[in-house]
Amino acid sequence: MKAGWIAILRKEIKSELRQKSGLVTTLLFGIFAVITISFATFDLAISPQLAAGLLGVAMLFSAIVGLPRVILVEEEQGTGDLLRLLAQPEDVFWGKAIYNLLFMVATTIAISVLFFGFTHMGLRNLPLLLLCLSGACMAYAGTVTLCGALVAHASNRTALAGVLAVPLLLPLSFMAVSGLRVALDVNEAFNLTRGFISGIGLVLYGAATLSVGSYLFAAVWKR
Amino acid sequence: MKYALALAVALVTVWSFLVPDAVGFQRPELARVFFWHFPCPILATLLLIIGAWFSFKFQRTGDLRWDVRAVACMELGYIFCLMTMATGIIFSKVQWGAWWQNDPRQTSFLMVLLIYAAYFGLRGAMTDDVKRASNSGVYALSALLPMLFLTFVFPRLPGVESFHPNESIMQGQIKGQYAYVVVAVMVLMAWLSAWMYRIRVRAGILELKLEEMANGLENGSGDSAGSTVVRPVRVSRES
Repeated sequence: MKAGWIAILRKEIKSELRQKSGLVTTLLFGIFAVITISFATFDLAISPQLAAGLLGVAMLFSAIVGLPRVILVEEEQGTGDLLRLLAQPEDVFWGKAIYNLLFMVATTIAISVLFFGFTHMGLRNLPLLLLCLSGACMAYAGTVTLCGALVAHASNRTALAGVLAVPLLLPLSFMAVSGLRVALDVNEAFNLTRGFISGIGLVLYGAATLSVGSYLFAAVWKR
Repeated sequence: MKYALALAVALVTVWSFLVPDAVGFQRPELARVFFWHFPCPILATLLLIIGAWFSFKFQRTGDLRWDVRAVACMELGYIFCLMTMATGIIFSKVQWGAWWQNDPRQTSFLMVLLIYAAYFGLRGAMTDDVKRASNSGVYALSALLPMLFLTFVFPRLPGVESFHPNESIMQGQIKGQYAYVVVAVMVLMAWLSAWMYRIRVRAGILELKLEEMANGLENGSGDSAGSTVVRPVRVSRES
């Protein structure tokens, strides 16, 4: 079990380092999103609520662009059946979900650094920001990995992966935005405890998504 | 049976217009849309949860009849979701002054609609019956958590202020004849949905039997392929 998911994770990392297409595409998407936000709001003082929403949207769509690829590419290259023969579904899920988590963490760091650099937003509470971002990354990785598996055999699968993932991720985005707006609120208008409740809720939601996702993934992958 | 149902719907509709106007509404005479609005989200949520349970049963057994039951529940649940939105939008216009208020409950219910629209999108994109049932079933199960969050948790989060009262029934704001009509409409709608569910499931199971018969004919001697044609055979990966 342990060696199985590590082998899948190593395969994904090696494959990405060889091609670099997924990371480059997602990072470029994130950079474009942040630059567009900065361009649209260059003469405005962005409120924490708006900034939290914009950062949440940039993260959400970066996840949808980059994460399903890790499953879909197996079907496109014709390696999916070989993987089904050689590996347990749980190993495949955990290997790919953890790869997606690392991928999402790298993307989120890049987007957040660019976002703060371009918009000159202040920061009230760094631990809360990190809590919200890490919870969001966990939940995005679990949900989008599962959605990738759901559409792997469907027609028009790339677009469909986004269509399935966005509604499932919207409640998470609500929680992420309500936590992030407190983390970005330098004027201290919002209650810090409520921000932490949202952040902890997000991490728990992410943990639930990853743990339930492994069982649901097995049900789809073996058929 | 169906005549009794039609008669009951007609009687309750007339009754809903005969009860005295409720207090506390901008336009009390038009607030009667509440009778039809209130039961819809309750039945929709219930049907979507039962649909997810049937999907779980399909995952356990692999029997396509569970998928037929799940789809019947999902379709009916979705119809009730649409009716919730339609009656809610009318209520919003007549009582709050705008078709769309950006009310957290309105928005969260719209999200639920989107989540289950994607369910039907996924079913439409799969051609193989078993894969369609399996994948859409897993989606229905994974949609359960966001659906429950959006319906029950999100509107009650601290700082989320809605026009929708959370405790109108519990605190006795809906009482007397008004409450009786609400309960009567709820019972009627549940009866109607049970009736439609039975018809949908019966039709779905007949469809499955027809498909099985068609496959049997195709594999039998009556319409067999020539000896040079090799037919693909389904191979189970289960050991």
